[in-house]
Amino acid sequence: MFSVIILAGGTGSRMHQSVPKQFLALAGKPMILHTLERLERIDEVDEIIVSCHPHYKELLQMHIDAYMLKKAYKIIDGGETRQQSAYLGVKAAKNEDIIIHEAARPFVTTQEFRDLIQCPAKNVTYGLDIPFTVSVRDGDAISGLLERDKLVNIQLPQKFEREPLLRAYEQAEKEGNVFTEDTSLLIHYTGEQVHILKGTPNNVKVTNTVDLIAGEMIYKEYIVGRD
Amino acid sequence: MKTCIITGAGSGIGRAAALEIAQAGEFEYLALIGRSEEKLSQTKSMMQTASQVELYAYDLAELEGIPALVQRIYETTGEITCLLNIAGYTDPQPLLTTSLESMRLTYETNVFAPFMLIRECTKYMRLNKAGAKILNVASTAGITPRPGWLSYASSKAAVVSMSQTLSEELAEYGIRVYCISPGRCATALRRKLAPNEDQSKIMQPEDVGHIIRELVSDTEQCLDGQNIVIRKKT
Repeated sequence: MFSVIILAGGTGSRMHQSVPKQFLALAGKPMILHTLERLERIDEVDEIIVSCHPHYKELLQMHIDAYMLKKAYKIIDGGETRQQSAYLGVKAAKNEDIIIHEAARPFVTTQEFRDLIQCPAKNVTYGLDIPFTVSVRDGDAISGLLERDKLVNIQLPQKFEREPLLRAYEQAEKEGNVFTEDTSLLIHYTGEQVHILKGTPNNVKVTNTVDLIAGEMIYKEYIVGRD
Repeated sequence: MKTCIITGAGSGIGRAAALEIAQAGEFEYLALIGRSEEKLSQTKSMMQTASQVELYAYDLAELEGIPALVQRIYETTGEITCLLNIAGYTDPQPLLTTSLESMRLTYETNVFAPFMLIRECTKYMRLNKAGAKILNVASTAGITPRPGWLSYASSKAAVVSMSQTLSEELAEYGIRVYCISPGRCATALRRKLAPNEDQSKIMQPEDVGHIIRELVSDTEQCLDGQNIVIRKKT
Protein backbone atom coordinates (compact mmCIF):
# COMPACT_ATOMS: atom_id res chain seq x y z
CA MET A 1 0.00 0.00 0.00
CA PHE A 2 1.02 3.62 -0.57
CA SER A 3 1.14 6.74 1.55
CA VAL A 4 0.64 9.90 -0.48
CA ILE A 5 2.15 13.14 0.75
CA ILE A 6 0.48 16.26 -0.56
CA LEU A 7 2.50 19.43 -0.25
CA ALA A 8 0.04 22.21 0.49
CA GLY A 9 1.99 24.51 2.75
CA GLY A 10 2.23 27.49 0.43
CA THR A 11 0.83 30.85 1.46
CA GLY A 12 -0.06 32.06 -2.03
CA SER A 13 2.26 35.07 -1.98
CA ARG A 14 2.98 34.84 -5.72
CA MET A 15 -0.71 34.81 -6.52
CA HIS A 16 -1.28 37.97 -4.41
CA GLN A 17 -4.33 36.36 -2.81
CA SER A 18 -5.51 36.39 0.79
CA VAL A 19 -6.03 32.61 0.68
CA PRO A 20 -3.26 30.15 -0.31
CA LYS A 21 -3.63 29.04 -3.91
CA GLN A 22 -4.41 25.45 -2.97
CA PHE A 23 -7.68 26.73 -1.50
CA LEU A 24 -8.59 29.02 -4.40
CA ALA A 25 -11.58 27.85 -6.43
CA LEU A 26 -10.74 26.06 -9.63
CA ALA A 27 -13.78 24.99 -11.66
CA GLY A 28 -15.94 25.64 -8.61
CA LYS A 29 -14.04 23.84 -5.88
CA PRO A 30 -10.83 24.36 -3.91
CA MET A 31 -7.80 23.41 -5.97
CA ILE A 32 -6.56 20.81 -3.50
CA LEU A 33 -9.87 18.92 -3.69
CA HIS A 34 -9.21 18.03 -7.34
CA THR A 35 -6.25 15.89 -6.35
CA LEU A 36 -7.83 14.49 -3.18
CA GLU A 37 -10.96 13.36 -5.02
CA ARG A 38 -8.88 11.51 -7.60
CA LEU A 39 -6.79 9.79 -4.95
CA GLU A 40 -10.04 8.61 -3.36
CA ARG A 41 -10.52 6.29 -6.36
CA ILE A 42 -7.16 4.55 -6.04
CA ASP A 43 -7.32 1.34 -4.01
CA GLU A 44 -3.55 1.10 -3.50
CA VAL A 45 -3.54 4.33 -1.48
CA ASP A 46 -4.58 3.90 2.13
CA GLU A 47 -3.04 6.99 3.70
CA ILE A 48 -2.92 10.64 2.66
CA ILE A 49 -0.72 13.08 4.52
CA VAL A 50 -1.30 16.73 3.80
CA SER A 51 1.38 19.15 4.80
CA CYS A 52 -0.43 22.40 5.47
CA HIS A 53 0.06 25.80 7.12
CA PRO A 54 -1.38 25.51 10.67
CA HIS A 55 -3.76 28.36 10.00
CA TYR A 56 -5.54 26.39 7.26
CA LYS A 57 -5.73 22.91 8.80
CA GLU A 58 -9.27 23.42 10.05
CA LEU A 59 -10.42 24.68 6.66
CA LEU A 60 -8.89 21.66 4.97
CA GLN A 61 -10.57 19.27 7.41
CA MET A 62 -13.89 20.98 6.73
CA HIS A 63 -13.48 20.37 2.98
CA ILE A 64 -12.47 16.74 3.53
CA ASP A 65 -15.64 16.21 5.59
CA ALA A 66 -17.91 18.06 3.13
CA TYR A 67 -16.63 16.00 0.20
CA MET A 68 -17.00 12.82 2.26
CA LEU A 69 -13.44 11.69 1.56
CA LYS A 70 -12.90 8.32 3.19
CA LYS A 71 -9.16 7.68 3.08
CA ALA A 72 -7.14 7.92 6.29
CA TYR A 73 -5.97 11.54 6.46
CA LYS A 74 -3.19 13.09 8.51
CA ILE A 75 -2.99 16.87 8.31
CA ILE A 76 0.41 17.96 9.54
CA ASP A 77 2.16 21.30 9.90
CA GLY A 78 4.32 22.27 6.97
CA GLY A 79 7.99 23.09 7.45
CA GLU A 80 9.93 26.26 6.78
CA THR A 81 10.90 25.07 3.30
CA ARG A 82 9.41 22.74 0.74
CA GLN A 83 12.10 20.20 1.59
CA GLN A 84 11.23 20.31 5.30
CA SER A 85 7.53 19.88 4.53
CA ALA A 86 8.26 16.86 2.37
CA TYR A 87 10.56 15.44 5.06
CA LEU A 88 7.92 15.82 7.77
CA GLY A 89 5.37 14.18 5.50
CA VAL A 90 7.60 11.22 4.68
CA LYS A 91 8.47 10.85 8.37
CA ALA A 92 4.77 10.70 9.26
CA ALA A 93 4.00 8.04 6.64
CA LYS A 94 3.21 4.49 7.75
CA ASN A 95 3.97 2.76 4.44
CA GLU A 96 7.34 2.00 2.85
CA ASP A 97 6.01 3.07 -0.56
CA ILE A 98 5.61 6.81 -0.84
CA ILE A 99 4.13 9.15 -3.42
CA ILE A 100 4.83 12.86 -3.22
CA HIS A 101 2.55 15.31 -5.00
CA GLU A 102 1.78 18.99 -4.68
CA ALA A 103 -1.65 20.57 -4.32
CA ALA A 104 -0.74 23.16 -6.94
CA ARG A 105 -0.85 20.46 -9.66
CA PRO A 106 -4.59 19.80 -9.78
CA PHE A 107 -4.64 18.31 -13.27
CA VAL A 108 -2.87 15.08 -12.41
CA THR A 109 -5.15 12.25 -13.53
CA THR A 110 -6.18 9.10 -11.72
CA GLN A 111 -4.45 7.15 -14.47
CA GLU A 112 -1.18 9.00 -13.90
CA PHE A 113 -1.27 7.97 -10.24
CA ARG A 114 -2.04 4.39 -11.29
CA ASP A 115 0.79 4.31 -13.84
CA LEU A 116 3.19 5.59 -11.21
CA ILE A 117 2.11 2.89 -8.77
CA GLN A 118 2.37 0.14 -11.38
CA CYS A 119 5.76 1.22 -12.72
CA PRO A 120 8.23 -1.52 -11.61
CA ALA A 121 11.01 0.93 -10.74
CA LYS A 122 11.40 1.87 -7.07
CA ASN A 123 11.95 5.57 -7.60
CA VAL A 124 9.97 7.24 -10.35
CA THR A 125 9.23 10.78 -11.46
CA TYR A 126 7.13 12.23 -14.21
CA GLY A 127 9.13 14.32 -16.64
CA LEU A 128 8.57 16.25 -19.82
CA ASP A 129 10.88 16.98 -22.72
CA ILE A 130 11.85 20.62 -22.94
CA PRO A 131 10.54 22.14 -26.20
CA PHE A 132 12.31 25.47 -25.84
CA THR A 133 15.92 26.68 -25.80
CA VAL A 134 17.62 26.80 -22.42
CA SER A 135 20.68 29.00 -22.01
CA VAL A 136 23.27 29.52 -19.33
CA ARG A 137 23.58 33.07 -18.10
CA ASP A 138 26.56 34.91 -16.80
CA GLY A 139 25.14 38.04 -15.22
CA ASP A 140 23.27 39.88 -17.95
CA ALA A 141 24.90 37.91 -20.76
CA ILE A 142 24.37 34.47 -22.25
CA SER A 143 27.42 32.31 -21.74
CA GLY A 144 26.28 29.12 -23.41
CA LEU A 145 23.45 26.81 -24.36
CA LEU A 146 22.31 23.65 -22.62
CA GLU A 147 21.63 20.54 -24.68
CA ARG A 148 17.87 20.17 -24.65
CA ASP A 149 17.84 16.44 -25.24
CA LYS A 150 19.83 15.93 -22.05
CA LEU A 151 17.35 17.91 -19.95
CA VAL A 152 14.00 17.03 -18.48
CA ASN A 153 11.28 19.17 -16.96
CA ILE A 154 10.50 17.42 -13.65
CA GLN A 155 6.81 16.99 -12.82
CA LEU A 156 5.09 15.59 -9.81
CA PRO A 157 3.79 13.12 -8.64
CA GLN A 158 6.87 11.09 -7.79
CA LYS A 159 7.27 7.67 -6.18
CA PHE A 160 9.97 6.68 -3.69
CA GLU A 161 10.99 4.13 -1.12
CA ARG A 162 10.63 5.71 2.29
CA GLU A 163 13.84 4.68 4.08
CA PRO A 164 16.46 5.86 1.54
CA LEU A 165 14.54 9.10 1.06
CA LEU A 166 14.41 9.70 4.81
CA ARG A 167 18.16 9.17 5.08
CA ALA A 168 18.70 11.65 2.25
CA TYR A 169 16.58 14.30 3.98
CA GLU A 170 18.44 13.80 7.25
CA GLN A 171 21.80 14.09 5.55
CA ALA A 172 20.72 17.22 3.69
CA GLU A 173 19.48 18.77 6.92
CA LYS A 174 22.74 17.95 8.66
CA GLU A 175 24.71 19.62 5.85
CA GLY A 176 22.32 22.53 5.48
CA ASN A 177 21.60 21.74 1.86
CA VAL A 178 18.25 22.65 0.33
CA PHE A 179 16.92 21.01 -2.83
CA THR A 180 13.92 22.24 -4.78
CA GLU A 181 12.54 18.76 -5.38
CA ASP A 182 13.17 15.26 -4.11
CA THR A 183 14.68 13.27 -6.99
CA SER A 184 17.77 15.48 -7.06
CA LEU A 185 18.09 15.14 -3.29
CA LEU A 186 17.78 11.37 -3.48
CA ILE A 187 20.30 11.05 -6.29
CA HIS A 188 22.74 13.38 -4.54
CA TYR A 189 22.77 11.48 -1.26
CA THR A 190 22.10 7.88 -2.21
CA GLY A 191 23.08 7.53 -5.85
CA GLU A 192 19.80 5.66 -6.43
CA GLN A 193 18.39 5.67 -9.94
CA VAL A 194 15.19 7.54 -10.67
CA HIS A 195 13.12 6.33 -13.60
CA ILE A 196 11.30 8.88 -15.77
CA LEU A 197 7.69 8.38 -16.84
CA LYS A 198 6.56 10.62 -19.66
CA GLY A 199 4.33 13.36 -18.31
CA THR A 200 1.85 15.58 -20.11
CA PRO A 201 1.85 19.33 -20.65
CA ASN A 202 -1.59 19.42 -18.98
CA ASN A 203 -0.17 18.58 -15.58
CA VAL A 204 0.92 22.16 -15.01
CA LYS A 205 1.80 23.71 -11.68
CA VAL A 206 -0.54 26.58 -10.91
CA THR A 207 1.81 29.36 -9.91
CA ASN A 208 0.48 32.66 -11.21
CA THR A 209 -3.01 34.08 -11.63
CA VAL A 210 -2.91 33.42 -15.36
CA ASP A 211 -2.42 29.71 -14.63
CA LEU A 212 -5.80 29.68 -12.91
CA ILE A 213 -7.46 31.13 -16.01
CA ALA A 214 -5.72 28.62 -18.28
CA GLY A 215 -6.49 25.94 -15.71
CA GLU A 216 -10.23 26.31 -16.24
CA MET A 217 -9.69 25.37 -19.89
CA ILE A 218 -7.43 22.44 -19.05
CA TYR A 219 -10.05 21.19 -16.59
CA LYS A 220 -12.87 21.35 -19.16
CA GLU A 221 -10.92 19.90 -22.05
CA TYR A 222 -8.73 17.39 -20.30
CA ILE A 223 -10.36 16.30 -17.04
CA VAL A 224 -14.16 16.39 -17.45
CA GLY A 225 -15.39 13.21 -19.06
CA ARG A 226 -11.87 11.79 -19.43
CA ASP A 227 -10.76 11.00 -15.89
CA MET B 1 -30.41 -1.05 -7.78
CA LYS B 2 -31.01 1.52 -10.53
CA THR B 3 -33.10 4.10 -8.72
CA CYS B 4 -35.12 7.14 -9.71
CA ILE B 5 -36.43 9.65 -7.15
CA ILE B 6 -39.44 11.67 -8.29
CA THR B 7 -40.78 14.59 -6.27
CA GLY B 8 -44.29 15.92 -6.72
CA ALA B 9 -45.32 12.45 -7.85
CA GLY B 10 -48.86 12.76 -6.44
CA SER B 11 -50.24 14.97 -9.21
CA GLY B 12 -49.62 17.00 -12.33
CA ILE B 13 -46.31 16.74 -14.16
CA GLY B 14 -44.78 14.66 -11.35
CA ARG B 15 -47.45 12.01 -11.64
CA ALA B 16 -47.31 12.02 -15.45
CA ALA B 17 -43.53 11.64 -15.40
CA ALA B 18 -43.75 8.83 -12.83
CA LEU B 19 -46.23 6.93 -15.00
CA GLU B 20 -44.13 7.36 -18.13
CA ILE B 21 -40.95 6.28 -16.37
CA ALA B 22 -42.63 3.29 -14.77
CA GLN B 23 -43.88 2.18 -18.16
CA ALA B 24 -40.45 2.60 -19.76
CA GLY B 25 -38.98 0.27 -17.14
CA GLU B 26 -35.43 1.69 -17.21
CA PHE B 27 -35.27 1.91 -13.42
CA GLU B 28 -35.56 -0.97 -10.98
CA TYR B 29 -36.73 1.19 -8.10
CA LEU B 30 -38.94 4.26 -8.13
CA ALA B 31 -39.10 6.43 -5.01
CA LEU B 32 -42.21 8.58 -5.26
CA ILE B 33 -42.16 11.63 -3.00
CA GLY B 34 -45.17 13.81 -2.30
CA ARG B 35 -47.05 15.39 0.57
CA SER B 36 -50.12 13.18 0.32
CA GLU B 37 -49.82 9.44 0.82
CA GLU B 38 -53.27 9.06 -0.73
CA LYS B 39 -52.29 10.83 -3.94
CA LEU B 40 -49.03 8.88 -4.15
CA SER B 41 -51.03 5.66 -3.77
CA GLN B 42 -53.29 6.75 -6.61
CA THR B 43 -50.24 7.33 -8.79
CA LYS B 44 -48.90 3.90 -7.91
CA SER B 45 -52.26 2.26 -8.63
CA MET B 46 -52.18 3.74 -12.14
CA MET B 47 -48.83 2.10 -12.92
CA GLN B 48 -48.20 -1.08 -14.82
CA THR B 49 -44.58 -1.80 -14.16
CA ALA B 50 -42.09 -4.44 -13.11
CA SER B 51 -40.15 -1.80 -11.17
CA GLN B 52 -40.34 -1.70 -7.40
CA VAL B 53 -42.35 1.38 -6.44
CA GLU B 54 -42.13 2.81 -2.93
CA LEU B 55 -44.01 5.81 -1.54
CA TYR B 56 -42.36 8.47 0.60
CA ALA B 57 -45.03 10.80 1.96
CA TYR B 58 -43.00 13.86 2.85
CA ASP B 59 -43.44 17.63 2.83
CA LEU B 60 -40.31 18.99 1.17
CA ALA B 61 -40.75 22.30 2.97
CA GLU B 62 -39.31 20.35 5.93
CA LEU B 63 -35.81 20.96 4.66
CA GLU B 64 -33.92 19.62 7.67
CA GLY B 65 -35.26 16.12 7.12
CA ILE B 66 -34.13 15.84 3.50
CA PRO B 67 -30.65 14.39 4.20
CA ALA B 68 -32.20 11.56 6.23
CA LEU B 69 -34.83 10.96 3.55
CA VAL B 70 -32.21 10.61 0.82
CA GLN B 71 -30.00 8.47 3.03
CA ARG B 72 -32.97 6.15 3.72
CA ILE B 73 -33.56 5.69 -0.02
CA TYR B 74 -29.86 5.10 -0.66
CA GLU B 75 -29.59 2.55 2.13
CA THR B 76 -32.58 0.71 0.67
CA THR B 77 -31.36 0.66 -2.92
CA GLY B 78 -27.56 1.02 -2.76
CA GLU B 79 -27.60 3.51 -5.63
CA ILE B 80 -29.22 6.77 -6.63
CA THR B 81 -29.26 7.02 -10.39
CA CYS B 82 -31.70 9.77 -11.15
CA LEU B 83 -33.39 12.66 -9.33
CA LEU B 84 -36.40 14.48 -10.73
CA ASN B 85 -37.19 17.74 -8.93
CA ILE B 86 -40.75 18.32 -10.06
CA ALA B 87 -42.64 19.40 -6.92
CA GLY B 88 -43.63 23.06 -7.11
CA TYR B 89 -45.54 25.70 -5.19
CA THR B 90 -47.05 29.02 -6.15
CA ASP B 91 -48.84 31.86 -4.42
CA PRO B 92 -49.24 34.51 -7.13
CA GLN B 93 -49.39 38.02 -5.68
CA PRO B 94 -48.38 41.49 -6.81
CA LEU B 95 -45.30 42.90 -5.12
CA LEU B 96 -47.13 44.98 -2.55
CA THR B 97 -49.13 42.07 -1.19
CA THR B 98 -46.36 39.48 -1.38
CA SER B 99 -45.50 38.61 2.20
CA LEU B 100 -42.10 37.46 3.30
CA GLU B 101 -43.74 34.23 4.45
CA SER B 102 -45.18 33.59 0.98
CA MET B 103 -41.84 34.34 -0.65
CA ARG B 104 -40.09 32.06 1.83
CA LEU B 105 -42.52 29.17 1.34
CA THR B 106 -42.22 29.45 -2.46
CA TYR B 107 -38.43 29.41 -2.31
CA GLU B 108 -38.39 26.56 0.20
CA THR B 109 -40.36 24.31 -2.12
CA ASN B 110 -39.08 25.49 -5.49
CA VAL B 111 -35.42 26.27 -4.75
CA PHE B 112 -34.21 25.17 -1.31
CA ALA B 113 -35.73 21.67 -1.41
CA PRO B 114 -34.28 20.90 -4.88
CA PHE B 115 -30.94 22.29 -3.69
CA MET B 116 -30.99 20.03 -0.63
CA LEU B 117 -32.07 17.01 -2.67
CA ILE B 118 -29.38 17.64 -5.28
CA ARG B 119 -26.69 18.10 -2.66
CA GLU B 120 -27.62 14.97 -0.77
CA CYS B 121 -28.14 12.81 -3.87
CA THR B 122 -24.83 14.00 -5.34
CA LYS B 123 -23.00 12.53 -2.35
CA TYR B 124 -24.15 9.11 -3.54
CA MET B 125 -24.35 9.76 -7.29
CA ARG B 126 -20.59 10.52 -7.32
CA LEU B 127 -20.02 6.87 -6.45
CA ASN B 128 -21.86 5.55 -9.55
CA LYS B 129 -19.60 4.09 -12.22
CA ALA B 130 -22.17 4.77 -14.96
CA GLY B 131 -22.95 8.35 -13.89
CA ALA B 132 -26.30 9.82 -12.93
CA LYS B 133 -28.92 12.33 -14.02
CA ILE B 134 -30.68 15.21 -12.31
CA LEU B 135 -33.66 16.93 -13.91
CA ASN B 136 -35.13 20.14 -12.54
CA VAL B 137 -38.47 21.52 -13.63
CA ALA B 138 -38.33 25.31 -13.98
CA SER B 139 -40.86 27.29 -16.00
CA THR B 140 -41.11 29.76 -18.84
CA ALA B 141 -42.14 32.11 -16.04
CA GLY B 142 -38.50 32.01 -14.96
CA ILE B 143 -37.21 33.51 -18.21
CA THR B 144 -39.77 36.22 -19.06
CA PRO B 145 -41.37 38.96 -16.96
CA ARG B 146 -44.56 37.88 -15.17
CA PRO B 147 -46.14 40.77 -13.24
CA GLY B 148 -48.08 39.40 -10.30
CA TRP B 149 -46.07 36.18 -10.08
CA LEU B 150 -42.99 37.58 -8.40
CA SER B 151 -42.25 34.77 -5.98
CA TYR B 152 -42.94 31.95 -8.43
CA ALA B 153 -41.23 33.49 -11.47
CA SER B 154 -38.10 34.50 -9.57
CA SER B 155 -37.86 31.10 -7.89
CA LYS B 156 -37.98 29.40 -11.28
CA ALA B 157 -35.27 31.74 -12.59
CA ALA B 158 -33.19 30.47 -9.68
CA VAL B 159 -33.87 26.88 -10.77
CA VAL B 160 -32.63 27.66 -14.29
CA SER B 161 -29.45 29.22 -12.96
CA MET B 162 -28.86 26.48 -10.40
CA SER B 163 -29.23 23.84 -13.12
CA GLN B 164 -26.79 25.50 -15.49
CA THR B 165 -24.21 26.06 -12.77
CA LEU B 166 -24.44 22.51 -11.49
CA SER B 167 -24.34 21.06 -14.98
CA GLU B 168 -20.74 22.29 -15.19
CA GLU B 169 -19.83 21.72 -11.56
CA LEU B 170 -20.97 18.10 -11.52
CA ALA B 171 -19.79 17.11 -15.01
CA GLU B 172 -16.55 15.67 -13.62
CA TYR B 173 -18.59 13.09 -11.69
CA GLY B 174 -20.53 12.01 -14.79
CA ILE B 175 -23.68 13.64 -13.41
CA ARG B 176 -25.78 15.26 -16.13
CA VAL B 177 -28.07 18.09 -15.03
CA TYR B 178 -31.14 18.88 -17.11
CA CYS B 179 -33.53 21.79 -16.82
CA ILE B 180 -36.90 22.00 -18.49
CA SER B 181 -39.13 25.04 -18.58
CA PRO B 182 -42.67 24.07 -19.49
CA GLY B 183 -45.02 26.75 -20.72
CA ARG B 184 -48.73 26.64 -19.95
CA CYS B 185 -49.55 23.17 -18.69
CA ALA B 186 -52.85 21.88 -17.34
CA THR B 187 -52.00 21.34 -13.68
CA ALA B 188 -53.46 22.40 -10.33
CA LEU B 189 -50.53 24.78 -9.93
CA ARG B 190 -51.33 26.40 -13.27
CA ARG B 191 -54.94 26.77 -12.14
CA LYS B 192 -53.73 29.02 -9.31
CA LEU B 193 -51.73 31.13 -11.76
CA ALA B 194 -54.46 31.38 -14.40
CA PRO B 195 -57.82 30.53 -12.80
CA ASN B 196 -59.98 31.32 -15.83
CA GLU B 197 -58.00 29.43 -18.44
CA ASP B 198 -59.56 26.59 -20.44
CA GLN B 199 -57.06 23.85 -19.54
CA SER B 200 -58.33 21.54 -22.26
CA LYS B 201 -56.69 23.84 -24.81
CA ILE B 202 -53.18 23.92 -23.37
CA MET B 203 -50.31 21.45 -22.95
CA GLN B 204 -51.15 18.44 -20.78
CA PRO B 205 -48.94 16.97 -18.01
CA GLU B 206 -48.58 13.80 -20.10
CA ASP B 207 -46.85 15.81 -22.85
CA VAL B 208 -44.22 16.99 -20.37
CA GLY B 209 -44.01 13.60 -18.66
CA HIS B 210 -43.17 12.01 -21.99
CA ILE B 211 -40.32 14.46 -22.61
CA ILE B 212 -38.97 13.89 -19.09
CA ARG B 213 -38.90 10.17 -19.76
CA GLU B 214 -36.92 10.76 -22.95
CA LEU B 215 -34.44 13.01 -21.18
CA VAL B 216 -33.69 10.59 -18.33
CA SER B 217 -33.32 7.57 -20.58
CA ASP B 218 -29.81 6.16 -21.01
CA THR B 219 -29.77 7.08 -24.70
CA GLU B 220 -30.10 10.85 -24.15
CA GLN B 221 -26.62 12.37 -23.87
CA CYS B 222 -26.85 15.79 -25.52
CA LEU B 223 -29.41 18.08 -23.90
CA ASP B 224 -28.05 18.57 -20.39
CA GLY B 225 -26.87 21.99 -19.27
CA GLN B 226 -29.49 23.83 -21.31
CA ASN B 227 -32.79 25.36 -20.37
CA ILE B 228 -35.15 23.32 -22.50
CA VAL B 229 -38.35 25.24 -23.18
CA ILE B 230 -41.41 23.04 -23.73
CA ARG B 231 -44.36 24.73 -25.33
CA LYS B 232 -47.28 23.30 -27.24
CA LYS B 233 -48.38 25.18 -30.33
CA THR B 234 -52.05 26.06 -30.05
